[in-house]
Amino acid sequence: MGWEEVQVRGYSEFVTAAQSYRGRPIFAFFCGDKDAEGKSWCPDCVTAEPVMRKELNNLPDESVFIYCLVGDRAYWKDPNNEFRRNLKLTGVPTLLKYGTPQKLVEEECFKAELVHMLFTED
Amino acid sequence: SVQAHKEEDNPQKTMEVNRFTPVPNSYDYDLIVIGGGSGGLAAAKEAAKYEKKVMVLDFVTPTPQGSSWGLGGTCVNVGCIPKKLMHQAALLGQALQDSRKFGWQFTEEVKHSWMTMTESVQNYIGSLNWGYRVALRDKKVTYENAYGEFVGPHTIKATNKKGIEKLYTAERFIIATGERPRYLGIPGDKEYCISSDDLFSLPYCPGKTLVVGASYVALECAGFLAGLGLDVTVMVRSILLRGFDQDMANRIGEYMKEHGVSFIREFVPIKIEQVEEGTPGVLKVTAKSTAGDQIIEGEYNTVLLAIGRDPCTRKIGLDKVGVNINEKTGKIPVNDEEQTNVPYIYAIGDILQDKLELTPVAIQAGRLLVRRLYAGATTKCDYVNVPTTVFTPLEYGACGYSEETAVEKFGEENIEVYHSHFWPLEWTVPSRDNNKCYAKIICNIQDNERVIGFHVLGPNAGEVTQGFAAALKCGLTKEQLDSTVGIHPVCAEV
Repeated sequence: MGWEEVQVRGYSEFVTAAQSYRGRPIFAFFCGDKDAEGKSWCPDCVTAEPVMRKELNNLPDESVFIYCLVGDRAYWKDPNNEFRRNLKLTGVPTLLKYGTPQKLVEEECFKAELVHMLFTED
Repeated sequence: SVQAHKEEDNPQKTMEVNRFTPVPNSYDYDLIVIGGGSGGLAAAKEAAKYEKKVMVLDFVTPTPQGSSWGLGGTCVNVGCIPKKLMHQAALLGQALQDSRKFGWQFTEEVKHSWMTMTESVQNYIGSLNWGYRVALRDKKVTYENAYGEFVGPHTIKATNKKGIEKLYTAERFIIATGERPRYLGIPGDKEYCISSDDLFSLPYCPGKTLVVGASYVALECAGFLAGLGLDVTVMVRSILLRGFDQDMANRIGEYMKEHGVSFIREFVPIKIEQVEEGTPGVLKVTAKSTAGDQIIEGEYNTVLLAIGRDPCTRKIGLDKVGVNINEKTGKIPVNDEEQTNVPYIYAIGDILQDKLELTPVAIQAGRLLVRRLYAGATTKCDYVNVPTTVFTPLEYGACGYSEETAVEKFGEENIEVYHSHFWPLEWTVPSRDNNKCYAKIICNIQDNERVIGFHVLGPNAGEVTQGFAAALKCGLTKEQLDSTVGIHPVCAEV
């Protein structure tokens, strides 16, 4: 079995998804909400997404990839939002390996080499 | 001759390395750094700035207890970083006690969870390990988690944890393999004792602990373990903090004794036995006096050995390339440009003979070396007046000469020592010791009373000392010090 993608929106959906896949390697991409045309308010997320998507087929077997829309710009800017408070996220986009300190933040997500390292190395 | 499996795509290159085959002129790398610690990583990142093709090899041989860790070396994983965090945990415990006198009211008894602290510390270290890997990859430095050893001129063999071997060649090498804790060589030491390599990730609270040794590692660990509420005893063979100002060392020892740490002086363990298995279990320690025939026994949950560290230079093939080491200590002698007796092989960090074993020194040496190699710089590493701090419960910061060394070098009649006790304002209200904090400066009378030694014992000693180190480097004299107005109310004004 290869890897599978799950799409969620908001903190509680994210937590539910992460808990339900416990035991499997979980990777997550956090991105600003998208408008009706499918474009995010977060320009760095727009840049990072194609780079990240290209590396997805390197995910280890059995992994789960959670694509998470965090909310609108106002929600994200609030310093007390649940993502900042509980997951310690500092910026979007963030790409991380859940349950480990391994993550890439903002411009780091633009670099295919780094995304590749996150997805494939221990 | 040496032949090894090579999974490279250069079939034309001669990979048989023996005395009769010439070494290829085009190397795989400009620079290979053996050891991904403070010195190694600083050197590698600096070399990448000058567009050099660099490889870092880092590998941690697990401890006898099975502990291992990620990229970053001793400081990040099993040294400075976790040590300071656990020291802080202990200080916070003390602060909680003091806080009641400042009006904070809480009725619950305050307890400490070893697991919560250790998990937080290890999480932070994990983020540092990851950060280093991102930094190396971003700068296009090749990193391999593999054990590097020389097999011939300009050639190294890298063995990963699965046993797969690869050969690499480079124009130049930097050895930055650091050190590991020494064991006693007595029955039961490797089976039952732990070292600082194990302590910071120990998956259970160590309980009643015997710390063997009187190095700063021993005293710092004993200090924070006692500060966390554990029953701690330190077994000392002879003196405390060899190499440091002995008056300051004794004051540190006295303070620790008065604050819950027991000392057994002039004894060495001769046997460690297990009385009960467990996490922790119970160990029986038999020790012999160094001053006579007396034998004593004691039982502890954990025995922590901190009797010294040995350089990792004996099993990296230095004989194959002719690099001289001090056979007795394992240290590598280098010239003032960190070059070994083999011109294309350099060494930095704790493995150097007669140099200070400190992270910032290794980093500085690594960076300056690389700038001299690839950026035409000429600055050499300045090993003089390097400040240090010992993070014992009462912190000790120092820069320059100890009193003994100053007397030895300049003669007692040519030095003047100015000293003072001080009572930190923050200690007054909670009625903490009023005669323990202490500062002294050592001046050279023949040179305008230049300050050649600075020593302070008190809270935040590291923060206090850093600024004075810069002043010493500028040639601070007693008169200049006197004419500097103090900041009030702070400890440093003394």
